[in-house]
Amino acid sequence: MPFERVLMRHVGVPNSTSLAVYKADDGYAGAARALKMTPDDLVEFVKKANLRGRGGAGFPAGVKWTFLPKDRTVTYLCVNADESEPPTFCNRVLIDSDPHMLLEGVLIAAYATRTTVAYIYMRGEFCAQFHILQRALDEAYAAGYFGRNILGSGYSLECYIHRGAGAYVCGEETGLIESLEGKRGWPRIKPPFPAIEGLFRKPTVVNNVETLACLPHILTRGVDWWLSIGTANSKGPKMYCISGPVNRPGCYEAPLGLSCRELIYGADFGGGMCDGKKVKAVFPGGLSMGALRGDMFPKPPDGKVDPRQDHDELDCILDFDDVRKYDLLGLGTAAAVVIPEDADLRDTLLNVTRFYSQESCGQCTQCREGTAWMQKIAERIRAGAGRPVDLDIIVEATRNMGMMPGLSICGLPDGAAWPIRTLIQKFRREFEQRIAAQAPGAAESLIRRTNAAAYELPVLHGRAVQPVGGTYATPVDVAPPP
Amino acid sequence: MPKIIIDGQTVECRSGIPVLQAALEAGLAVPHYCYHPGLSVVASCRLCLMEMKMRDPKTGQMDWAPKLFPSCQTPVRDGLEVRFCSDPVRDNQQHVMEYYLLNHPLDCPVCDKAGECYLQDYTEASGPATSRMVEDKTKNPKKDIGPHTLLYQDRCVLCSRCVRFCDEITGSGELAVVGRGSRCEIDVLPGQPLQNPLQGNVVDLCPVGALLDKDFLFKQRVWLLRSARSVSPADSRGQTIWIDYNEAGIHRIRPRYNEKVNEWWITDEARFGWKHVHRRDRLRQPRIRQGTALQPARWEELPALLRTWFSQPSPTVPNPIAAILSPMLTCEEAWLLAKFARSLAPQATLVLGHVPTVGQDQTYPKGFTIKAEKCPNRRGVETILQHLGGPTASFQEFLGQAVEGRFRAAYVTGGYPNAWVMDPIATALAKIPFLVVHDLFPSALDAVAAVQIPGSAWAEREGTFMNCDGLLQPFERALPPLEGVKADGQFFSELLGQPGLFRARTVRETMAAELPQFSEVFIPRDLPKHAH
Amino acid sequence: MSWRTIDRRTVPLDDLDPGLSAAVKEKIRSFFPRYPTRRAVLLPALHIAQDALGYISLRAMREIAELLEIPPSAVLDVVAFYTHFWTHPRGRKTIVLCRSLTCELMGGGRVREALEQRLGIGEHETTPDGQWSYMTEECLAACEHAPCLLIDEKLHKAVQVEDLDRILVDAENDRLDLPRSTLFDAPQET
Ligand SMILES: Cc1cc2nc3c(=O)[nH]c(=O)nc-3n(C[C@H](O)[C@H](O)[C@H](O)COP(=O)(O)O)c2cc1C
Ligand code: SF4
Ligand code: SF4
Ligand code: FES
Ligand code: FES
Repeated sequence: MPFERVLMRHVGVPNSTSLAVYKADDGYAGAARALKMTPDDLVEFVKKANLRGRGGAGFPAGVKWTFLPKDRTVTYLCVNADESEPPTFCNRVLIDSDPHMLLEGVLIAAYATRTTVAYIYMRGEFCAQFHILQRALDEAYAAGYFGRNILGSGYSLECYIHRGAGAYVCGEETGLIESLEGKRGWPRIKPPFPAIEGLFRKPTVVNNVETLACLPHILTRGVDWWLSIGTANSKGPKMYCISGPVNRPGCYEAPLGLSCRELIYGADFGGGMCDGKKVKAVFPGGLSMGALRGDMFPKPPDGKVDPRQDHDELDCILDFDDVRKYDLLGLGTAAAVVIPEDADLRDTLLNVTRFYSQESCGQCTQCREGTAWMQKIAERIRAGAGRPVDLDIIVEATRNMGMMPGLSICGLPDGAAWPIRTLIQKFRREFEQRIAAQAPGAAESLIRRTNAAAYELPVLHGRAVQPVGGTYATPVDVAPPP
Repeated sequence: MPKIIIDGQTVECRSGIPVLQAALEAGLAVPHYCYHPGLSVVASCRLCLMEMKMRDPKTGQMDWAPKLFPSCQTPVRDGLEVRFCSDPVRDNQQHVMEYYLLNHPLDCPVCDKAGECYLQDYTEASGPATSRMVEDKTKNPKKDIGPHTLLYQDRCVLCSRCVRFCDEITGSGELAVVGRGSRCEIDVLPGQPLQNPLQGNVVDLCPVGALLDKDFLFKQRVWLLRSARSVSPADSRGQTIWIDYNEAGIHRIRPRYNEKVNEWWITDEARFGWKHVHRRDRLRQPRIRQGTALQPARWEELPALLRTWFSQPSPTVPNPIAAILSPMLTCEEAWLLAKFARSLAPQATLVLGHVPTVGQDQTYPKGFTIKAEKCPNRRGVETILQHLGGPTASFQEFLGQAVEGRFRAAYVTGGYPNAWVMDPIATALAKIPFLVVHDLFPSALDAVAAVQIPGSAWAEREGTFMNCDGLLQPFERALPPLEGVKADGQFFSELLGQPGLFRARTVRETMAAELPQFSEVFIPRDLPKHAH
Repeated sequence: MSWRTIDRRTVPLDDLDPGLSAAVKEKIRSFFPRYPTRRAVLLPALHIAQDALGYISLRAMREIAELLEIPPSAVLDVVAFYTHFWTHPRGRKTIVLCRSLTCELMGGGRVREALEQRLGIGEHETTPDGQWSYMTEECLAACEHAPCLLIDEKLHKAVQVEDLDRILVDAENDRLDLPRSTLFDAPQET
């Protein structure tokens, strides 16, 4: 049975943002069905479908909803439309083509969680999308899908769009909550988790746009249909994004489990590289998930995966599990950007480090200082004044930040560590060659010019730092003054 | 009381506190910046991380979890096992310390905080001496952010304590974090500087030398200072303080933790209210009126002179003697002076001196209160007067009677930091033929006093103050009295003919025999270093 | 260490700064029922204020703080956290150029250089004729159209250096061709 697009079925359809077109295609039928169930049954239903969050973490939506305290009186639903992860744009495409699908999903999720007010937190740079969604919302209100006593069910829901103002970290769920409350978007410490104490200190659910947009389809087509799509632990359709120098950059819907190679080369997807170039690297899940080696490198002889070898890794299956075999952080947003063979990875390194250092919120020391330091080093390497030891310092820095080892409040530094570390580790040879090809003495003369103290301060000669527990095993390669 | 295991040692701790607090109270030096027991927990400096035993979901056994946890955010619970002495924890501390040094200017030689700076201390204990960053450091200008405070942004470690203080304790919220990521700075809205009357605390709060007190700026190195446990005379709440002083005098005042009164904070009045101690015009010598002028006298002449005057009955009025006990006196001094008056004239009128007040009590969101009553010991003097019984009068009544010429001799104590002898007071007291004025500064009374005795400031005395809630708190002497001046208590015991050195404690013990309230004093415990 | 000390205590001479009109304040108030706290109205209020004034003046910060019953520094705090808000006047139109990975790979760097040269300004600056302001921003979530830029609300796709001339002179270059919602716009003054 050929795969039928559901999330993107209206892309390219004229007037697809209108309620009439949406309704003609079974629109709001899922919501009508949901409103006939009890909220608890609805949660169970979604749990059965194992709908895993599309926002990055892949946490099952139904399970998340069960964390809400039973005796709550007020619940908020926050819709995460802050899509800022480069190079991700599937939420934008979804809102552009089918805003009512999102709104129906909001209604279903809100009913399941007994939400009374839902806020759609939309990034500030989404301008056209805001107008589209606001108009759809007005229509939906007028048609009785929001407001008091929806479809005669006795359930009432208010829904508002809240516009962000340019901060990646406000996509993190507690950063989003703080931002909504009118504060700087500093993520909160957890516990308490938002399900217990979230927006305005009340139980709160945060879900991604695409996660919610899946709900109407699960309700109209049933759990079995949903479970028939995808791989073992990753069910349902997914909107994959591909960008960079490919022939058909764009967003494409496919069952979870598309391979990275298919995404780049498939005729229905990326359509191959521009000018027949080869792929040097690809960030397959949004920047934060890390890099894969491209087909510029030899294929593994036995097809075995070994991230330590210089092998083509494009066979990576983009679902929630396989990515981990390739030393990636996770599926992320399933948005790939391709780096062609002729690109200079020093540019990539600088761009990636700059992104995280610009977007770190500044609370946690490791994240605030570490990302900025990595950017400074990357700038110097880019300027042709790198030192081999810089690569070690960057890798060391990526290892001492992040939430996985418990070193920070939110996941942003994990997302910074993975691409930067995989980039340097998997492509170390290129970096080393580029550094070796620099003008002799370039590093020293540049450092002397910008920070003479690095050479003049006596404390920096010899060991600047104590070698305890192997932490500072990297020697400081600063030469004594002549 | 829960028991937790820290680094293999069982520690008993108060319930409901974070592990970090328990560790600090147990005397462990766990590095941390953002945690402050008086503020909300943000767990953002990531320096206090620890390892914790948790049940392994696979084996069901308790084992060290493979990640680190912020100890400031983890509440203690019975049986919890944590450790700080482990490689991952030390690795993290060293890395974080290196991060702090990336852009830190390392200008300790010109930094006021040097010597009590957390960054210095932690670097010495657990960090590298400098970072491996070879790029130029981020440079930020200094900012003048308030009447008392300068911000050296370069040195800030962004712990946000100061911001939380202004948000949570004073509720005035003048400080903000401006910018994002490594470009974050602490700042105020231009034209809206720090305005709250507790603002001096942000300087103590700041773990590094980013927020500095203009008053103390470049004045002293902290290792040249000694500290005395004192109680502030600034208001009736009895805020406990440290007086930091050396041979050259007082240099600053810091809060001394007191769970019953001021916790970690003090008012700016208390902090900056020591300047009068070093005023040039302090009285320095006893003087006796001869003719129209006050002439220098020797201390030894005074007791006999006073005794003569205070013990002579008057042919016209029944009780011609009064002693005015200032609420600036300590309990011991008030007691001795009252005893002196009553020993010579058993019907002497005892009067509680002028009680200065300014405005209304001000209470802040978390309960910190600034009292309107600007003297430390009204309640102590009242307690003594009540106990001694006999003729007493309020200060107003006394003034009224004095105007009528009811008194032939009166002993007036002052000791106020500010001018207090207003016209009505001066006019009334002028009617008293033998007026003894025991005060710090010249005043309108100089013209009418028969005897003028120089007082000593509270920092030059020892004793106890009873605060507005009846809490009795002793304080130490920081400075010797001015040259040529006798401490008040010493002089009073000499008046009473008690030989030897005045010791507040000894006096208090004799008081306690009559007045059980004085048998127990409250001394807040000293906190370990870096435990605030 | 810099020896300069910035004076933050003197009230800057901002009497000439634009403040918020009564209509703008009324519009901000109309957002109150949407949220349980007043503070949550801050981002909408700033959007509306920036639409009215072009930027967030110190005076506007104080007025918004008064409306929302929060300390004025809390407004500064939020304004400075988000890149969308300007604290100095902007030109009539603002170009937001994407600088993230895909756009850079597709030639965004060249577009940036050409743009800066053409306008003769750097980031966060305004052309002398007051027509253009310009800034860069991380990924605009339109990477399939890389390199891209926003002129006010309108997204320009796959912009190459050659296209700049055409785009900059187009009178409609900031106009969206779809029905707009005026929810976050400043009210029309009559
Ligand atoms: C730094 C950071 C940025 C994030 N940005 C986004 C985002 O832009 N959009 C999004 O949907 N989720 C984002 N997330 C993930 C959210 O925290 C959260 O997991 C998600 O909104 C949950 O929705 P889901 O369960 O439907 O996936 C981000 C997470 C981190 C740590
Ligand atoms: S990890 Fe980084 S982005 Fe996340 S809260 Fe900490 S400083 Fe902010
Ligand atoms: S100024 Fe001091 S207290 Fe305030 S954030 Fe910086 S280091 Fe912390
Ligand atoms: S993170 Fe615990 S003290 Fe800062
Ligand atoms: S990288 Fe430019 S829009 Fe995404």
